[in-house]
Amino acid sequence: MNQQPAPTTVNPVQRVRVWYALILLVFGLFAVRLFYLQIIRYDYYKQAARSDQLKQYTVAAERGVITAHLGESTVPIVMNQKLYTLYADPTIVKHPEEVAAKLQSLIGGNTDDYTALLKTKDTRYVILKKRLSEDQSNKIVALKSPGIGTEEQDYRTYPQGTLAAQLLGFVDNDGKGEYGVEQALNTRLQGTPGQLKAVTDINGVPLAASPNNISTPPVPGDNVNLTIDVGLQSNLEKILKAEQEQHKSKDVSAIIMDVHSGAIKAMANYPTYDPANYQQVDDASLFQNDSVATPIEPGSITKLFTTATALQKGAITPTSSFYDPGSWTVDGAKISDVEEDHSTGQQTVLSTLDKSLNTGAFWMLKQIGGGDVNSQARNTLYDYFTKHFGLGQATGVEQGYEAGGYVPKPADNGAAINLTYGEMSFGQAYTATALQMISGFSSLVNGGTYYQPYLIDQYKSADGKVTTVAPKAERSGVISKQVSDEMVSLLEQNNANHIREGFRYLDFGPNYVVGGKTGTAEIADPAGGYYVNKNNGTYVGFVGGDNPQYAIVVYNMEPSHYAGFAGAATGQSVFGNIAHMVVNDFGVTPKRR
Amino acid sequence: MTYSSTLAMGRQQSLSRGATQSSSLSRGANSVSFKVTDKRLGPISNTIVLIVLACLLGLLYLTQVTKTNAYGYQINGLQHQQSKLQQQHEDLAVASARLQSMDRVSSSAQAADMSQTTPSGSVQ
Repeated sequence: MNQQPAPTTVNPVQRVRVWYALILLVFGLFAVRLFYLQIIRYDYYKQAARSDQLKQYTVAAERGVITAHLGESTVPIVMNQKLYTLYADPTIVKHPEEVAAKLQSLIGGNTDDYTALLKTKDTRYVILKKRLSEDQSNKIVALKSPGIGTEEQDYRTYPQGTLAAQLLGFVDNDGKGEYGVEQALNTRLQGTPGQLKAVTDINGVPLAASPNNISTPPVPGDNVNLTIDVGLQSNLEKILKAEQEQHKSKDVSAIIMDVHSGAIKAMANYPTYDPANYQQVDDASLFQNDSVATPIEPGSITKLFTTATALQKGAITPTSSFYDPGSWTVDGAKISDVEEDHSTGQQTVLSTLDKSLNTGAFWMLKQIGGGDVNSQARNTLYDYFTKHFGLGQATGVEQGYEAGGYVPKPADNGAAINLTYGEMSFGQAYTATALQMISGFSSLVNGGTYYQPYLIDQYKSADGKVTTVAPKAERSGVISKQVSDEMVSLLEQNNANHIREGFRYLDFGPNYVVGGKTGTAEIADPAGGYYVNKNNGTYVGFVGGDNPQYAIVVYNMEPSHYAGFAGAATGQSVFGNIAHMVVNDFGVTPKRR
Repeated sequence: MTYSSTLAMGRQQSLSRGATQSSSLSRGANSVSFKVTDKRLGPISNTIVLIVLACLLGLLYLTQVTKTNAYGYQINGLQHQQSKLQQQHEDLAVASARLQSMDRVSSSAQAADMSQTTPSGSVQ
C-alpha cells in the first residue's frame, strides 16, 4: 500500500516572513542599484544630465557698417540685413509637386527647379532659395508643410548698389571678408561673438534660475568710415565705364588722391561686379581691385620719377638740354623712341616730358651716373624708386591682396643690368600698381612728403569711441621743396604744350593749376619680349589752385586701336574728364593769387 | 522607558490627583483646579512637524524657482521683441539708405526734370 506523503503544512507566519524577505531583497537590490547610480556613478550622470540640460550657444556679433563721405555728411554703403534661407528635408516632403507649386506662388522662381530639389535623393538638406524677406519667411512657415523650413542669416547689403565694389570686397557664406576693405579689416569689422551657456527647458529657452548660466554678450565689430566721397566715386565709375565701352579696353582703373594727406577720395575699376550677388560672378579676377592688386610696367609716366631723381641729385636742372642722337646703345641693345624716326637734335628736360622721349630719360639716367649708366646710376635710381617714391613696394593700404610689384636689384647680375635700368628710366622692365604710382607722384608735387595712402577716415567702436585716422607722413624730404616746385612747373608747362598741340580738354583756365604726363606702356608677352600691337595707356597728373590739390592716376589696359600712343589717346583723355569733374563738382580751391 | 509605559504613568498620576480632589472636596470649595502640566511633543509629532516644515521649505523654494524661471521666459520674450524691433530698425535703415542712393536719386522724377548746366566760368 502506497503511503501518501503527509500534507505539508505551511506556517502562515513563515509564509509572510518569506514574502517580507523577498520584498526586502527587492528593495535591497533597488538600494544597491541606486547606490551605484547615485553615489558611485554620481559624476558621470551629473555630467550627462548637465550636457543635456545645459545648452551652449554662440551669439554672432554684428559686423561693422561701412560708411563714406557724401559732401559734408556720411552715408552707409555697406549695411547688415537679416534675411532667410529656405531649406527642405526631401526625406520628409511627401508631395513635392504640390509643395513646389505652393512655394512658387509665395516666392516666385521655377516650380520644376523646386520639384527637382525636393526630390533629391540621399540628402536631408537642400537649399531652395536664399535671401528671402521676413514676410516671405512667415508665409512659408504658415504653410506648415512638413520638411520645409527657413533659417535666419545675416547678409551684407549694399544700398549704393555696385558702387566701389572692388574697393569694398564682400563677405562669404562663412562670414569672412574677402577682397577689399572687408578682407583687410576683417578682424576689426567682424567683432567678437558672444556666448550663452544656460540650462534650458525642452524648447531651448534658458531658465533664469540656474546658477550655471553664463552669458557673455557679443561685441559688435567697429564701424568704419571711408575717405572716399560717394559722389566722386560714382562719377569716376561712370567715366571709367564710358571709357571702357568706347575703347573696348580690357579694363580701366583710376584713383583720385588728396596729395597733402594720402587720403584716397575715389578708387575705381571697370568692369566691376555686384557684391550682393558675388556668387554669380564666373570670372574671379573681377573681384580684384586692380588699382592695388595688379602691378604693370607703367610706361612713360615713370619719366617723372627719373626726372625728379636727376633734379634732386643735381645731375640736371629744369633748363638742361642735351643732344639727342635718336637712339642710345647699351649692353648691345638700342634704346629709341616709339616714333623710331623722330628727328635727332637738341632736346630739353621739358621736351623730354612733352614728347615723352625714351632717349631723354636714358640721358637723365646717364647724368645721374656722372655721364654713364653705371652702378652709381643704378643704385641711385633703385634707391629713389623704391625707398623714396615707394614704387614696386606694397603701401599697406587697407585692401585685401595688395600686390607689391617688381623693381630689379641694381647689382650687376650679368644679365644686361644697364639695359634693364635704361628701360626702367622710361617705365619698362619694372612693375608698379596704380596706387604706388599716385602715392609716389603725390610726393613729387606736394613739397616732397610721401604719405602712406589710406582709405579709412574713422573707426567707431561699439562703445561709441571714435578714432580718427591721421594722415601718416611716412617719409619727408623725399625730394626737396625746390625740386617739387620745379616738377610742378614742368608738369604745368607740359600741360600747356599739350593744349597748344590741340588737346583743348586739358585747358582749365587761369584759376587752376593742372599738370600731368602720359604713358604708353608695352606689355610683356609671357612667351618672351613684348606684344607688338598691345599697349597700356597710363596717365598721372594733378589739379589744384595755388598748389596741386588732387592727384589723379589712370591705368587703361589694352585699349583697342591705340597701340603706340595709348597714353595720349586714352589715359590723358580719361584724366581730362576726371579732372573736369573734380574741378566742377568737388570743390577744388581756385587760385587766390 | 517606552512610549506606552509613559502613557500609563500619566494616566495613574491623573487618577490619583482626581481621588485626592474628591476626598478633600468641601462645600464652597472650587471643584476645578488649574495646574500647569508638563506637555511635550512626542517623536511622531516631531517627525510630522519636521516633515511639514520641510515640505513648506520645499514649496517655498519651488515657488521662488518657478517665479524666477517665469521671469526667464519673460526676459526671453522681451529679448525676442527687442531683436525684432532692432531688425525692423535695421530694415528701415537699409530702406532709407537705398532710397537715398546715388543711382535712385539720379534716376528720380525730380532729377529728370532738372536741366544740365555747363559751368560758365571759374570761381574768381
